[in-house]
Order: sequence, then C-alpha cells, then structure tokens
Amino acid sequence: MDDVQEMRSPGTLHGASPSYTLGKRRTDHNLLIPEAELKGLGAELHYTQRGGDITFHGPHQAILYPIISLRSIGIGARNYVETLERSMIEFASVYGVKARAGHKGETGVWVGDRKIGAIGVRISSGITSHGLAFNIDPDLKYFEHIVPCGIADKEVTSLRRETDDMLLPSEEVIHEQLVSCLAKAFSYDDVVWKEDPSFILDNQEEYKD
Amino acid sequence: MAARFLWASRVASHLRISGAQRGFSSVVLKDLKYAESHEWVKINGNKATFGITDHAQDHLGDVVYVELPDLGLSVSQDETFGAVESVKATSDINSPISGTVVEVNEVLTESPGLVNTSPHEEGWIIKVELSDACEAQKLMDSDKYSKFCQEDYAKH
Repeated sequence: MDDVQEMRSPGTLHGASPSYTLGKRRTDHNLLIPEAELKGLGAELHYTQRGGDITFHGPHQAILYPIISLRSIGIGARNYVETLERSMIEFASVYGVKARAGHKGETGVWVGDRKIGAIGVRISSGITSHGLAFNIDPDLKYFEHIVPCGIADKEVTSLRRETDDMLLPSEEVIHEQLVSCLAKAFSYDDVVWKEDPSFILDNQEEYKD
Repeated sequence: MAARFLWASRVASHLRISGAQRGFSSVVLKDLKYAESHEWVKINGNKATFGITDHAQDHLGDVVYVELPDLGLSVSQDETFGAVESVKATSDINSPISGTVVEVNEVLTESPGLVNTSPHEEGWIIKVELSDACEAQKLMDSDKYSKFCQEDYAKH
C-alpha cells in the first residue's frame, strides 16, 4: 500500500512577498528594526506556530513545506529535521558546495559558519507543516535587520554566493532538484506535480495579540 | 510562477532513512499509564499528572521550550493542550485524559531540558483534576506500552 504525502511550495520563487516570520516563541527581540520600518523595506511580519526563531523569506529562495505523517513513516521530530538537513546538504553538493548540519542548538544547514538553509517545523498529531527555506539567491541585505534564527555573529549565505562564477540553471530547475533530494531522502518513489494558482498560505497560521 | 504542489507516493515496505536501527531501549515505568501519542499519566485519586515518555523525548531531541496551558483550562482526552519545541520543531502534546488544569510545571520555563533528562519525574508537565476517571481504561499499562513501542521500532 502506498503512503501518499504532500509537499507545498508556497514561496513563488519570483514573486514571494518579502516577509519576516516568527515562530511559536515569538522572539521578536531578534527583529532589530521597529516593525513600522518594515513597510519601507517592502516587507511584512508574520507570526506562526512553527518551531525556530526569526527568519526572512523572499524572492529567490526555495521554500518547501512537506506535509508528512511522521507516524506513518515511524520517525519523530529529530529524525525528520535531520532528514530535511541531509536533503539540503545533498542538494548543495550537486553544486560542489560542501554544506553541513548545524552544531547542537543550531539546526539548519551551514557552509562553514555561514547559514544557507533554515528549518522551522510544526508537528501536530504527527503531521508536519511549515518546513525549510534554502537560499538560492535572495537579497541577503534583508537578513541584516534580524538576528537570523536567533544566532548572532554568524553570516547568512546563498547558493549564488557559494558558487561564485558558476552558471546556475534556472530557479525552476534548481527548485525541482531540491525537491528530488527531499523525495529521495524520504524514500519516495513517485513524484507528481500539481499547480494551484489560487493557493493560499494556509500553512502559515497568523495571529497577533 | 504560481505556487506548486507535489504529491509523492512511497511504497510502505521500503526501508526509509539511513541510520542504524536500534532496538527499543527507552525507560517505561510500571506504575504509570500511557497514551498512544506517547504521554504518561500518574493517577492519584481524582488528580492526575502528565508528561511525555522517555521514548517521546528521545525522538524529539533536546527540548528548548515548553508551552504550558493556563490554569483552569479544560483538557480533553486525545486533544492538544500544549507544545514542546526541539530542533526547530514544535510538537503538540495531547492530553491522555480529560480534566481541568490545576497545576503546571513552571520550572520547565527556565529548564525545558528536564523533559529530556527526567521525563517521568522532574519533567512532569501538568496536573489536572479528572473529569471522568473511566477514561483511564482506554490507556495502556506499562507492558502494553512497551510492546507498542517495540512494534513501532520493528515496523520501521
């Protein structure tokens, strides 16, 4: 019998609205500029129920939300997050970028001391939501206005930055490659793409006081 | 480009994920009752204490945050009452039995790691006043829970 799982990709690579997002702990002290100034940057602030600290999402990132029943594949949060990390590391290696998982307490994917991929997940009744964001070529200046993921004094990087002069394929191709790495890591055989032009970001629950 | 969905199917018999399969080795205490979502309950008259099991904390990783409910909250069996965060993942905690919250373990706010180091003792999460003692019958005893976890390991 097949398990069918789902992956959502709300980050429209070319049109994602720049936004800063917070996790369940609402660590807004890691936003270094007043919220009022965000509009001037063309960015929004969203509160979510995921784990993790503050991060930035915007154009030229691959943002993937796997919706998986962890109970059906028999793993817990730690294993799941490690698999997400492994997928991004393998994906980076396709471009000759030597990435690694974070040290203890620094979940995510790093190249040296520079963060290239971020993770923030919610698990509810064993089902995952939210997921990962991999920097393909976002405007890294946006990260200067936060303490990314609550980890100070560490840079943020991107595939573009780590591959220097290399000619990268289109973002659509890059996106699909990352998805393949994820599918492989979770032992999925079959991958079917569907388009939904009216997709609403219902995975990003939003609430403010 | 519009947002895209990906459906992936996976043959359930495939061995997933690398990493050595280890045998079930978590601690299971005899005098507690257990829910399938890996919470334990200690019943004392009409009061009960809950937490998550050793098996659960091991699968979560290092807990960095525990979201505690408010006092007086009504909790229902198998429904979410709080959450723990570990490795950038927040995982909902379900109530193994219904009741009203009368005490929460405030120490977890400063020391969330107690959930990992002492899941059955210092890492207790909430105490409730039971609303229906019969619900305890739906829970597993320690032998059944051990078996449940072992089957979990064997399956995957």
